[in-house]
Amino acid sequence: MNDTIHIENETLVAYIYDEVDAPEKARVARHLQQCATCGAEYAALTGVRTVLQAWAPPHAGLGFTVVPRTEAEQSARVLRPAPWWNTVPVWAQAVAAILVLAVSAAVANIQVRSGADGFAVTTGWMSQSASARERTSELPRDPADLSAGASAKAEAAIGREGGAAATRAPVATASVTGAEDWKAALVSLEQQLRNEIRTSRSADAVVRTSSRPSADEATIRRVQELLAASEARQERQLALRLTQFNRDVNVQRQADLVRIQQLFGHSEGEISKQRQMLNYVMRASAPQQ
Amino acid sequence: MNWDFGPFPTFGGGPESNRIASKFDTFRMVATDEELVAKSMAGDLESFNQLVLRWERPIYALAYRVLGRDEDARDVAQETFLRAFRALPGFKGQAKFSSWLYRIALNLCRDWIRRKKRTPVVDMPEGVDIAELAAEQGPVESIEDLVARQEMSRIVAEGMKLLPEEQRTAIVLKEYHGLTFQEIAELQGCPLSTVKTRLYQGLSVLRKHLESQGMTSLNSGRAS
Repeated sequence: MNDTIHIENETLVAYIYDEVDAPEKARVARHLQQCATCGAEYAALTGVRTVLQAWAPPHAGLGFTVVPRTEAEQSARVLRPAPWWNTVPVWAQAVAAILVLAVSAAVANIQVRSGADGFAVTTGWMSQSASARERTSELPRDPADLSAGASAKAEAAIGREGGAAATRAPVATASVTGAEDWKAALVSLEQQLRNEIRTSRSADAVVRTSSRPSADEATIRRVQELLAASEARQERQLALRLTQFNRDVNVQRQADLVRIQQLFGHSEGEISKQRQMLNYVMRASAPQQ
Repeated sequence: MNWDFGPFPTFGGGPESNRIASKFDTFRMVATDEELVAKSMAGDLESFNQLVLRWERPIYALAYRVLGRDEDARDVAQETFLRAFRALPGFKGQAKFSSWLYRIALNLCRDWIRRKKRTPVVDMPEGVDIAELAAEQGPVESIEDLVARQEMSRIVAEGMKLLPEEQRTAIVLKEYHGLTFQEIAELQGCPLSTVKTRLYQGLSVLRKHLESQGMTSLNSGRAS
């Protein structure tokens, strides 16, 4: 390495930051003494480093502290596994939805009829018996009227359908007796349901009355436990903050003491300088003898 | 707990680390980062808060010098410790805790710069009372020196703003945090030689900027 071959930039940087091994360091130092160009470069970069030290960030009061979250926040933010339905493919969900709708429609006995009055949608099993009742009310009560009405309806049916009148009248008769049976069965079912509901209500009231005190005690105990836990947590936080405050006060006190001492030292120095200056002025202004 | 009054564990030997170290040396009961990390991982929140107290200033200073804004630096510092706290169970201890923190902070700074898509602008702290600053500095520095230093600080901050993010980060980590070339290379994910090149180029740009601001004493005869 001589004056014409300068130090590589990376080597110079490593030398500036003192991250070179001993032989390399000696070699670079020798070259810097001999080569004015590299010496000036080294001096300039070192000067930049000196100036860089003037840049200080603002004195920010930070005081970050990690505090534990409350139980409510923890339960609210805790990660849970995905719901099972999110793992089922979409097509399977759609099929399941259609099946559910179909079964629901079957259970609800949805019927759509179209007639001269337009479309009619009926649901539920009770409506069918009600329509049966309506049909029954439309039929004459008198057996004579019944047969007449039946034959009239049969004739009407023949007019529309033709050939089916022979079977229509017995069906109408059977529907009348079936409706009467339905009515009796419904009345008895209603009575039975009322009895069962009454029985279950009284039993439920007994159970509730007997279990209420223990449930209240458990709730009170739980509230007391929560209160105790909350108090303990608050005490811990208070102790932590007091410790922190105490520490900060001590640090600040020490810093203040040092500053006061420095100020005193500075004042004494200034006074001494001023005294010397006064003495000098007095000596200078004194009449020459 | 380490009671042998050993030296304060620092990351490199930068002024930020040393300032904190001297503060802690006064107490003479210093738990190492590793000890505090182990306790924190066991659920001791106070230990983690001690780590926060120890490293908040260097992390804030790093973020401030990289981003150039006080508020953003505070946000980054706070987010750094939050992320560290959340990720602590996954901290294997293969790197130093401080290296890990620096990495989180630098990633956050990088994300911030990308998200904002703007060059960091250095805001000088507003409303600084020179007399108050002089009182803080003590009698060793006169008002004139203080004003000159502030002016120089402003010029340096402007110069840093001219540097690409990689060069600026390398200079900040080296100059103010005392990291080694190897540590910077690991943090920046680049070869050692690249770190040296970034430092050289960054210092050269700063030198030209300082010279343009009338600091002629930095002139040299070698073309960079």
